[in-house]
Amino acid sequence: MSGEAAVFWVFAALTLGSAAIVVLSRTLIYSAFALLVTFFGVAGLYVLLGADFLAATQLLVYVGGILVLLLFGVMLTHKIYDLDLRTETTQLASGLWVAGGLFVVLTAVALKTEWPARARLPASTTTPIGRLFLGEYLLPFEAASVLLLVALMGAAMIVRRRRDA
Amino acid sequence: MIGLSHYLVLSAGLFGLGILGLLTRRNAVNVLMSIELILNSANLNLVAFSRYAAGNLGGQVFAVFVIVVAAAEVAVALAIVLTLYRLRRTPNLDDAQVLKG
Amino acid sequence: MQELSRSLSAFRPELALLIGLALVVLADTFLGRARDFATRLLTVAALAGALGAALALATAGTRETIFSGMLVIDPLGSALELILIASGLLTVLAFGFRNSRELHGLGQGELYSLVLALVLSCLLLAAAGDVVMLYLALEMVSITSYVMVAYLKGDRLSNEASLKYVLFGAASTGSMLYGLSLLYGLAGTTSLRGIQEYLAGGIPDGNRFAVYVITLLVLAGFGFKIAAVPFHFWCPDVYQGAATPVTALLSVLPKAAGLAITLRFFYGTFSVPGRHAWDLSGSIEWGGLLMLVSVLTMTLGNVAALTQTNMKRLLAYSSIAHAGFLLMGIVALSENGARGLIVYLGAYLVMNLGAFLVVTLVHLHTGSFDLRDYPGLYRRAPLLTLAMAFFLLSLVGIPPFVGFLAKLYVFAAVIEQGSGTYATIAALNAAVAAYYYFKVLKVMTIDPGNEDQPAIELALADKAWLAAFALANVVPLLFWDRIEGWARGALVLYAGR
Repeated sequence: MSGEAAVFWVFAALTLGSAAIVVLSRTLIYSAFALLVTFFGVAGLYVLLGADFLAATQLLVYVGGILVLLLFGVMLTHKIYDLDLRTETTQLASGLWVAGGLFVVLTAVALKTEWPARARLPASTTTPIGRLFLGEYLLPFEAASVLLLVALMGAAMIVRRRRDA
Repeated sequence: MIGLSHYLVLSAGLFGLGILGLLTRRNAVNVLMSIELILNSANLNLVAFSRYAAGNLGGQVFAVFVIVVAAAEVAVALAIVLTLYRLRRTPNLDDAQVLKG
Repeated sequence: MQELSRSLSAFRPELALLIGLALVVLADTFLGRARDFATRLLTVAALAGALGAALALATAGTRETIFSGMLVIDPLGSALELILIASGLLTVLAFGFRNSRELHGLGQGELYSLVLALVLSCLLLAAAGDVVMLYLALEMVSITSYVMVAYLKGDRLSNEASLKYVLFGAASTGSMLYGLSLLYGLAGTTSLRGIQEYLAGGIPDGNRFAVYVITLLVLAGFGFKIAAVPFHFWCPDVYQGAATPVTALLSVLPKAAGLAITLRFFYGTFSVPGRHAWDLSGSIEWGGLLMLVSVLTMTLGNVAALTQTNMKRLLAYSSIAHAGFLLMGIVALSENGARGLIVYLGAYLVMNLGAFLVVTLVHLHTGSFDLRDYPGLYRRAPLLTLAMAFFLLSLVGIPPFVGFLAKLYVFAAVIEQGSGTYATIAALNAAVAAYYYFKVLKVMTIDPGNEDQPAIELALADKAWLAAFALANVVPLLFWDRIEGWARGALVLYAGR
C-alpha cells in the first residue's frame, strides 16, 4: 500500500469514526470533542487533495472558531448529558433507515456516474484562490462581508440583554 | 490507488451520519453539529472534484464560502439557543411544546 | 476594470441598498435621540432609490451578465427586482413600530438594517448566475430571516420558532449544497451558463441518475425557501412566532426570490436552447415532479388552513397554498408561465401585505390574533373590514380583484400546455380555499359578539395605507390590456438565447 493510500485510510477512518461518535454519543462534551477530530480529519484530507489554503482555513475557522463557539454553547447551557435513552433507541431505528438509504443512493451516484477526468495537479493554491476572489468571484467575496455583518449584528442583538429603549 | 470515488463514498458516509444525527438528536447543539457534518461532506465533494474532475479551483473557492456561511449560521443559531436556554433552562427540541401542528 | 464599471452601472439598485445599509448602521450607532427617525428615513430613502434605479434598469431592457457571470440581468429579472424592492418599501412604510404592538419598545435601527440586508440578499438571489452566488445569496436571505424572526427575543414562542427555522433551514440548504457539489463535479464549472452548456451537450445514460438525485437535493433548498411541501414545516410556527410586520415581509420577499431562482435554475440551466423551453437534455421528468410538489403544496396549505383560528397561522397556511399556485407558473414550462409567475407575485404582494396589515392593526387595538375575537369588527372598524374584504376576495381569486387576474394567467399557462387535470385540481383547491377566506369575512361581518366593545379609531396613516392596498387590489384590472402588453413584450428571460 502506497504512502498516500495509507494516509488516506488513516484520515478517512479518523473522520468517519469521530463523526459516528458525534452523532451517537450520549454525552454532549464527547460529541463536541469528536467533532474536533472530524474537522482535523477533513483538514488532513484537504491536504491530501492538494488544497493547502483550504486546509488552513478549515483549521482556523472550523476548529478555531466554530468549534470553540459550539463548546461555549455546550458549556453555557449546562446540558452535558443528553438523557432519555428510551426515545433515543426507537427513533434511532427509523433514522438509520433514512440515513442508510441516503448513503446507499449517494454511493450509487458516486460509483455509477462517469465523472469527467480533468486532473488538477497539486500546486500551491493560495495565490490562485486569491486572484479568483478578486477576479471572477469578486461579487460573492464582497457579498460575504454583508453576510458576516448581518450575522455579527444579529447574534449580538439576540444575545444582549434588553436595553432600556 | 486512491481516486475520486474513494473521497465521494467517504463524503456520502459523512452526509449519511449527518442526516442520522439530524433525525435522532434532541439537543439543539447536537443537531447543529450534525449539520456541520453535512456541510463538511459537501465541502469534501467540492475539493475532491476540484482535484480530479473539474481541473479548476472553483470547487475550492466554493468551499471557502461554505465555511464562511457555516460560521455565520452557527453564530446566529447559538445566539438563539442561548436565549432560549435563558428563557426555559433547556435546549432540548422536544421540550419546545408551545408550537404545535 | 472596464468589466467592473460596466457591472456596477447595472448594479445600482443593490448599491443603493448597500449604501443605505451602511448609513443605517452608522446612524444607529452614533445618533442619539434622532436615531429612530433617522434610521427609518434612511431606510425608506435607500429603498426608494433602489426602486428608482430598478425602474431605470427595467425600462432600459438590459440583458447581460455582470460580475463575471455572477449575476444575470434581464427584463424578467428586472421585473422581479421591482416586486422585491416594492415589497420591502411598502412594508416599511405601511407597517411601523408605531402600529405594531409586538415591536413596541424594541430597537429600530437594527430591524431596519436587517430589512435592507434582506432585500439586498433577495435581489442577489433572484439574479444569481453562478452556483457560488446562488448558495451565498440563499444563505444570506436565510440568515437575515432567522435574525429577523428572533427579533422578539423576550418572547418564548418567537425564540422557539426561530430555532426551528434555523435548524430546518440549515439542514435543507446543506442538502442542497451537497447536490450543488455533485453538479459542479459533473459540469466542471460553477457557472450556471457553463452547467447549461454541459447538460445541453448530452449526458451519458449512467449520469442520468446523478442528475435526478441532484435535482431532488437542490429542490430541498428551493422548497424550503418557497415553503413547498415537504419543506414547509417551519412555516406556520415561524409566521406565528415572528412579529407580524416581519411575517408580512417574510411571506413575500424570500418566497418571491426563491421562486425566481427556481425559475432561473430550471428554465435557464436545465433547458435546451432553441427548442421547446423545458426539455431537459437528460429527459428527466422533473416537470412532473414539480407538478406533484405544486399539487401537494396547495392542497396541504388549503386543508390545514380550514381549521386554523390563529390569524397568523391561517395566513401562513394560505401562503403555503399560494406557493402551490405560484409553482404552476414554473410547471407550465413556457414563457407564458414565467409571466404568469410575475403577475401572480405582484398580485400576491398587495393581497398578502394588505391582509397582514389588517391583522397587525386588529392586534394593535384588541391585543388578539385569534379569529374568535374578530366578530363585530364590521361595526367597530368598518373601513378595516371593508379593506379586509377586498384582500380576502382577492386571495380567493374572484374578479374584479387582482387575485383573479393572477390565477387567470397561471391557469391559462398551464392549460395551454395541455395539463387539464392539473388545472382542474388547482381550481378545486381554489374553491376549497374560498371556504376559509369567506369564513374570516363572515366572522368579521355577520357573527355576533363583542357588542360591548368600543369602536376602533385608526390612525390616519393606517387608514390611508389600508385604502391604498385595497385600491391596489382593484385598479390593475382597469389597465388589464396595458399589463398584458407589457407582460408579453417585456418579460424575457435571458437564458443565453
